[in-house]
Amino acid sequence: MPHAAIAAEEPGNVLVLHSNSRLAPGNIAADRGLRDAIASGAVPAQVFSEFLDQPAFGGDAYERTMARYLREKYAMHPPRAIVAVSDNAFDFLLRNRADLFDGVPLVHLGVSKAHLQSIGGLPADIAGVPIEYDFSGTIKQALHWHPGARRLVVVTGASERDRGWEARLRREAPAVADSVPVEFLAGLSTTSLQERLKNLGPDAVVFTPGYYLDGDGRISSPRESAAMIAATSSAPVYGALDGFIGVGVVGGRVPNFEQMGREAGEIVNALFAGTAPASLRLPEIEHASLQVDWRQVQRWGIDEKLIPADAVIRFREPTFWQSYRDAAIVTAAIILVQAALIATLLLERRRRRSAESAVQKQRTELAHASRLAVAGELTASIAHEINQPLGAIQTSADAADLILQAGGDRRDDLLRIVTRIRRDNLRASDVIRRLRALFAKHEPERQRVDLNAAVSDAVMLLRTEARHREVTVDLLLAPAPAFLVGDPTQIQQVLIILVLNAMDAVQEVPDDRRTIVVSVERRADGNVITVRDRGCGIAPEHAAKLFDSFFTTKPRGMGLGLSIARTIVEAHGGRITVESRQGEGAVFRVELPASDVAEPVALTSATVR
Amino acid sequence: MSPKPLIHVVDDDESLRTALLELLDAAGFDATGYASTGAFLLQPPPDRPGCVLLDVRMPGPSGLELQAALQRQGISLPVIFLTGHADVPTSVRAMKAGAVDFLEKPVERDTLLDALSRALARDALQRTASEEARRQSSRLAALTPRERAIFDRIVAGKLNKQIADDLGIGLRTVKAYRAQLMVKLGVDSAAELGRLAGEMRDKPA
Repeated sequence: MPHAAIAAEEPGNVLVLHSNSRLAPGNIAADRGLRDAIASGAVPAQVFSEFLDQPAFGGDAYERTMARYLREKYAMHPPRAIVAVSDNAFDFLLRNRADLFDGVPLVHLGVSKAHLQSIGGLPADIAGVPIEYDFSGTIKQALHWHPGARRLVVVTGASERDRGWEARLRREAPAVADSVPVEFLAGLSTTSLQERLKNLGPDAVVFTPGYYLDGDGRISSPRESAAMIAATSSAPVYGALDGFIGVGVVGGRVPNFEQMGREAGEIVNALFAGTAPASLRLPEIEHASLQVDWRQVQRWGIDEKLIPADAVIRFREPTFWQSYRDAAIVTAAIILVQAALIATLLLERRRRRSAESAVQKQRTELAHASRLAVAGELTASIAHEINQPLGAIQTSADAADLILQAGGDRRDDLLRIVTRIRRDNLRASDVIRRLRALFAKHEPERQRVDLNAAVSDAVMLLRTEARHREVTVDLLLAPAPAFLVGDPTQIQQVLIILVLNAMDAVQEVPDDRRTIVVSVERRADGNVITVRDRGCGIAPEHAAKLFDSFFTTKPRGMGLGLSIARTIVEAHGGRITVESRQGEGAVFRVELPASDVAEPVALTSATVR
Repeated sequence: MSPKPLIHVVDDDESLRTALLELLDAAGFDATGYASTGAFLLQPPPDRPGCVLLDVRMPGPSGLELQAALQRQGISLPVIFLTGHADVPTSVRAMKAGAVDFLEKPVERDTLLDALSRALARDALQRTASEEARRQSSRLAALTPRERAIFDRIVAGKLNKQIADDLGIGLRTVKAYRAQLMVKLGVDSAAELGRLAGEMRDKPA
């Protein structure tokens, strides 16, 4: 017996011949196992895979062509071990090995035990991992899961191999089905098979090994036929091939081709390591496992508790936690950190907001306080402003009274007096309106303001104060309304602050310098209010701090006026500047954006005393 | 029969001024308004009984300044002050300067009319006094130098004997002049002449 000794350490090629298609799931799994094992072996080897593509191709001519192809293709790279995957490839190699690769050891994989037995005594240089399709175990499992099943339907095909499986199942099925009657749908045309499957009803359980050929001679892979059967059947379908899981079959005890491939690979490794094939210890364990398609388990309402713990459950949507535990932890951590960050930021923002609103509120309070301070300063003038019309009213009423007491027809006089009373009353209430607008506490508002009107109003209010302090206030208004968007009261407040300051500045200067000029101008780039005095001026060392809060040079001043004026002006998008020469006077200029910008125009003049 | 009194109203507030004029008219007075101190001073008031109703605080010279100006010019019209805001120093100053009253606006009619009647009474008194003084000074002016010399000595408090010695005339002549002086100066008795002389002594011309 020629023994092909394989020298250790010599690299060698391995030819793997598959019975059927390259894409058959069993082949892919077997190939993967085989290659993994060989790659981890001591001897470096290249693995080549070939496919007989049964049952699509077959016959003597095809076999001859394939043989010649393999011989010629591998002449340059002769394999030092051959692996046959499944029955057909094994048969092919048994027939052609001597011709193609004489003396090269043959390892089989996935050849059924029954087939090996039918071949009888094999040459000594043939070893392998046989397969046992566990039809009985699968059927038993199926009936266990469907205790209500009243019949077992076995679907088989029309090819030679299909017939072999049919024969086997006719032997095995009744034994495991126990009292459940077994029906065979064997070698039917696809159409009639589908018709039958559709009408099975819920009390049936289907088993199929898949088939290669239907009654009409249509070729399919067992997997394709199983998929068709599962798709059509109104009863759950079981099968015992690895590739069936996922196509609609509930499950079955299926051989593990990858494991078998790995063991075949170990055999190759052992041969390469110099072990004689005959002395190889072949595994006796069955490489089958119970596999189920979780989607089908749920579809058919199979009791989860009946599934054994060692079953391979596939297509179970793993829970989010199972799939992405680490990612989930990291993500959750990140989200937590971010949430904390966001919460902190929000809190911070809220704090800032409330701080800002507190500041705003304080500013409003302060503005109000300063206005009240101004009001205090103006009390005498204000009393006078209101007293004057009140006195006039009283006097007029007294006059009317006297006229009435005297009798006689002095109707015209009385009418004139009443008219004047009404006018004086309006005048008093007008003063009060202006005062209330100026001194009442209110939120800043935005409206269209005519600076001419606002400034005139404020200067009117200061008229009495000016008289009291023996100061003249000249008012130069823009010839057309000078509009801006803002709070008229605040603008007036700015003006009052500036004019009162100017009055303070001219307190000690001679009469000819006791005139304050207030002007409103419309310019191309906005509105300008100017308050000009010829008073004592501002000391250079004070100029920088002039607009600071609590900076004051006055014995009773709070140092808030100009600071508030600046706040108001800046809130209106404007700016306030000052030019001064000590001893000569000062010019405060308030620039405010216009709401309708017009050409610069000449001033008209009006003097208010 | 003295003419109807004329009230001068000086207040820069047009409506109050007008109302006051209206009231005074209704109360039976003649009244004229002036918008400022200057307006009042530009036209010397006619020589009529009356008084001035004066606002303390006005543009330009104040009421107090007008009061002082009137006194300087020898215009003796009594002044009533009206003020919107009465402060103690101002009122004290006004009263010291001879104001009849210092009234706070808005003023009660009766208060005002009462003050007015007091002011007019004072004016009348002043007028009578000054009329008397004026009459007497014109009477004095009508005296001959000799009569004047004798009157001056009577005012100086000298006795007839001393006067006769001073002037080198006889005692009888002095007595005759004295009787003539009583007639010329409109006094009825020697005692009255002595009182008049006493007044003249206190108020050196």
